[in-house]
Amino acid sequence: MPEDNSDLNFETVKIGDELGPEEFHLSKDQVRAYARATGMWVPRFTDDEAARKEGLPGMITPGNMSLAILSKLVTDWMGASGARLTRMGTTYRQPVMPDHTLTLHGFVTDKKDIDHTAEMDIWLENEDGERLVVGTATVHFPR
Amino acid sequence: MVDYDPAIIGRVFETTEPLQVSAEMVANFCTAIGESNPLHTDADAAKKGPYAGITAPPSFAVTFRNGQHFFQHVPRYGKQGFDAGKDVEFVGPIRPGDAITLSSHVKEIYEKTGRTGSMVFVIVRTTLTNQKSEVVAHIDHRFMNRT
Repeated sequence: MPEDNSDLNFETVKIGDELGPEEFHLSKDQVRAYARATGMWVPRFTDDEAARKEGLPGMITPGNMSLAILSKLVTDWMGASGARLTRMGTTYRQPVMPDHTLTLHGFVTDKKDIDHTAEMDIWLENEDGERLVVGTATVHFPR
Repeated sequence: MVDYDPAIIGRVFETTEPLQVSAEMVANFCTAIGESNPLHTDADAAKKGPYAGITAPPSFAVTFRNGQHFFQHVPRYGKQGFDAGKDVEFVGPIRPGDAITLSSHVKEIYEKTGRTGSMVFVIVRTTLTNQKSEVVAHIDHRFMNRT
């Protein structure tokens, strides 16, 4: 759910401000729904047995879904502030397995007065605190 | 030094047929990622928003399928290639009704030595354009090859 961050603006954002943490359970059905909605219906994203045949520990989450989940962490934080997500980079370090409890984290790392933007680090971790997907994002605030 | 033909850098190797974005595609995507922001899900609320109508969430930009011949144009080194990540620049909104075209080129090839050995990174840039020839996003695919 987007936060009511309508008072969030370039002036009030501070380096070190946190996004999340947001804990959630990622179900296999959610991953299948994403695979279906985005035309990525391939065995490694939909079926444990077929994924194991490909040498994976079980069905995995598409990298693009992890990117979408992380971008939602940022856009939920922006809420109704009128800010815009202008850039996002992700690195897939380890496969994200569904049927696990995952946590999204982020914090503001920099502010650029000239561009009216804030930079943030974002990541997705599992129950063991392993950062499976890490990334950065840029948010532009209206002037 | 990585060996490659410098002429491939920047040359568009594939442009897809336009793909029409339907309201249903955007709605299914929102459901699948748990998107509840009314600017993406509620036509009435979105009408009062900055784009005067429903727009897809930014990450919808990465759901478009690359051209059929995409992977045969991505240079490979060594035995294993991995999708190491993506860098996306969200330039403008994607709305239901848009027809999106993808054009791809090799942007950069470089070698890096990390703690697990030598790797070659191939960056392929895909630019998404709508039916008005407006760029809506740039997606840099980062492919990592172990040599």
